[in-house]
Amino acid sequence: MMEQEHLIDLKDISKDFDGTTVLNHINLYVRKKEFITLLGPSGCGKTTTLRIIGGFEYPTTGTVYFEGKDITSLPPYKRRVNTVFQKYALFPHLNVQDNIAFGLKIAKTPRDEIKKRVDRMLDLVNLNGYGKRKVDQLSGGQQQRIAIARALVNEPEVLLLDEPLGALDLKLRKEMQLELKSMQQRLGITFIYVTHDQEEALTMSDTVVVMNDGKILQIGDPKRIYDEPANAFVADFIGESNILRGTMVHDELVHFSGFDFPCVDSGFGDNAPVDVVIRPEDIMIVGEDIGQIRGVIKSVLFKGVHYEMMVDCGETTFKVHSTIMQPQGSHVGLTIVPYNIHIMKPMAEEAHADA
Amino acid sequence: MLDLSLPWWGWLLMGAGLVGFIAMLVVSIRRNQGVKRSLFASPYTLWMIIFTVLPVILIGYYAFTDMNGNFTLDNFRNFWDSNYESNKVIMQAMGEAGAAYVSRGTVNVDTLVYSLWMAFKCTAICLIAGYPAALFMADRNMKLGPTLVVLFIIPMWMNFLLRTIAWMSLLEDSGLINSFLRKLGFDGVQLMYNSNAVLLGMVYNFLPFMVFPIYTVLNKMDFRLSEAAADLGCNSWQTLYKVVMPLSIPGVISGITMVFMPSVTTFFIPRMLGGGNTMMFGDLIESKFLVEGNWNVGSALSLIMMVLILISLSILRKADPNGEGGGIA
Repeated sequence: MMEQEHLIDLKDISKDFDGTTVLNHINLYVRKKEFITLLGPSGCGKTTTLRIIGGFEYPTTGTVYFEGKDITSLPPYKRRVNTVFQKYALFPHLNVQDNIAFGLKIAKTPRDEIKKRVDRMLDLVNLNGYGKRKVDQLSGGQQQRIAIARALVNEPEVLLLDEPLGALDLKLRKEMQLELKSMQQRLGITFIYVTHDQEEALTMSDTVVVMNDGKILQIGDPKRIYDEPANAFVADFIGESNILRGTMVHDELVHFSGFDFPCVDSGFGDNAPVDVVIRPEDIMIVGEDIGQIRGVIKSVLFKGVHYEMMVDCGETTFKVHSTIMQPQGSHVGLTIVPYNIHIMKPMAEEAHADA
Repeated sequence: MLDLSLPWWGWLLMGAGLVGFIAMLVVSIRRNQGVKRSLFASPYTLWMIIFTVLPVILIGYYAFTDMNGNFTLDNFRNFWDSNYESNKVIMQAMGEAGAAYVSRGTVNVDTLVYSLWMAFKCTAICLIAGYPAALFMADRNMKLGPTLVVLFIIPMWMNFLLRTIAWMSLLEDSGLINSFLRKLGFDGVQLMYNSNAVLLGMVYNFLPFMVFPIYTVLNKMDFRLSEAAADLGCNSWQTLYKVVMPLSIPGVISGITMVFMPSVTTFFIPRMLGGGNTMMFGDLIESKFLVEGNWNVGSALSLIMMVLILISLSILRKADPNGEGGGIA
């Protein structure tokens, strides 16, 4: 039953470029009407994954299924998938209207139907009356919308978006994030979105796929990815965190920074080395005498909503976010609630186990 | 000892450049503002005036005067009517082909039409053969692309005359091809001294000028545009004629310009490969100036050709409003 829900299935996909492995045995499925984001640093293989789904690259090994059918070697023009390219790739020799109508004309859609659908698309992306403009007369944000309209007008099953907001300024990017999300919900189209911006991924997605070095590190909904990162890399990449080396004293007690802290994780084995991840906003600054550990405020940065303070606790320096400012040089205590201490297997060991 | 002597015009040009440079420095220091870029162009401007603009004016002067310097339109009448004494001399020198011209009485017009027709054929062949070559060279999936580019460039390292003469040793009756055919037991074939040999020589010499402008445009083209076309349902052919071809028009236009112009005016190739049996307009002008010493008629013919080239270039530019091609009209 679950299998039927899968619109796209990537099975054991690998990709080599001239001997360099870009994708290393990826398995991933995409459900219908899902907003799924491939997130990772540049060079992690997220764009290659998208291009394999779009048909612009063929995997070295593995199979791509679309509604259960093998489409691995199907050329792009035969796939029911449309792409919004990174730098839009609008046709400079055509005006806005002809750019949007391009796919429909290729599909030999009747003229009046084309006109209707192009107008509807211009409406959808709030660019009414721009039909006759030349593409290079538009701003980045407008070109972005045209690129989306050009893809969506073909009513694809799946829309692939390759860092579509990368070239826009922050404010416009935030607006477009909301717009894209609402468009996706209204139209009921599956979106596969590639970005390196973790905030964008968390804001828009139903599912986030965190990738690094051609491998998938974690798949989950944004909250789960943020709250329960699978390893230190994910924790570091998603949001800010303090990542420390520590040792499990025994179940539910972890030693780091020279002290023992109660936690909620177990099953690592006594005296096992672990990575400890603590979000800066999960560390509470309390009076010097009642904290679990003591420290001195080394620096204070105003970040808008909160202050970012670096607290020197001798063995380690913690990054702490708080809305209440402590003056530099003051002595404070720090407290961490047990369930905010995330314990994970050390990265190095995991990599070793995989090899 | 190294000989550092220069011809007078070399000193003149360098002097002009130096004067321009100093003037530029003085002006920019005086006004305490940005360097005037136009001053950099002063040596080139001077060069253009002395060696391009003045000669054109001189051609105009000669074309509308007779031997004694009086105004006349006779030189143009000469173009239409070949029964002028001077034309007969050339036609006699041409033998049989010349006799045919004499009977029709329109050697100049015929030669011009023939030149235009040959240039047109040459340009068409270069375009049809060169475009796919440029496509292959610019294809980022083709590992051979860069090698092809080099292969196209290597013949251009050789002198133009040498390349044409090399063709002669291939095509002539005792040449490589014919002796090979004879060895195989076939009869020899007349390959040279006809208009096809001339055409071959022209295509061979001018093909790179078609390929490279197109290659440059295609190479600069964002490959994502082809991907976008494929994404929107185009197969390879549709991608080619809906996206790649329209975007390569500037390159095609420069290519056409750069092949058509030298093709019309070419005069060495027909003489070598055509052996004097075919005469092109360039040969005609050359013989007016150098054989007959009739500068007035020669200038008139040059002027007619210049006007024709200008007209054809301005027609071409209509197709390329951004004006990347051409550069003359």
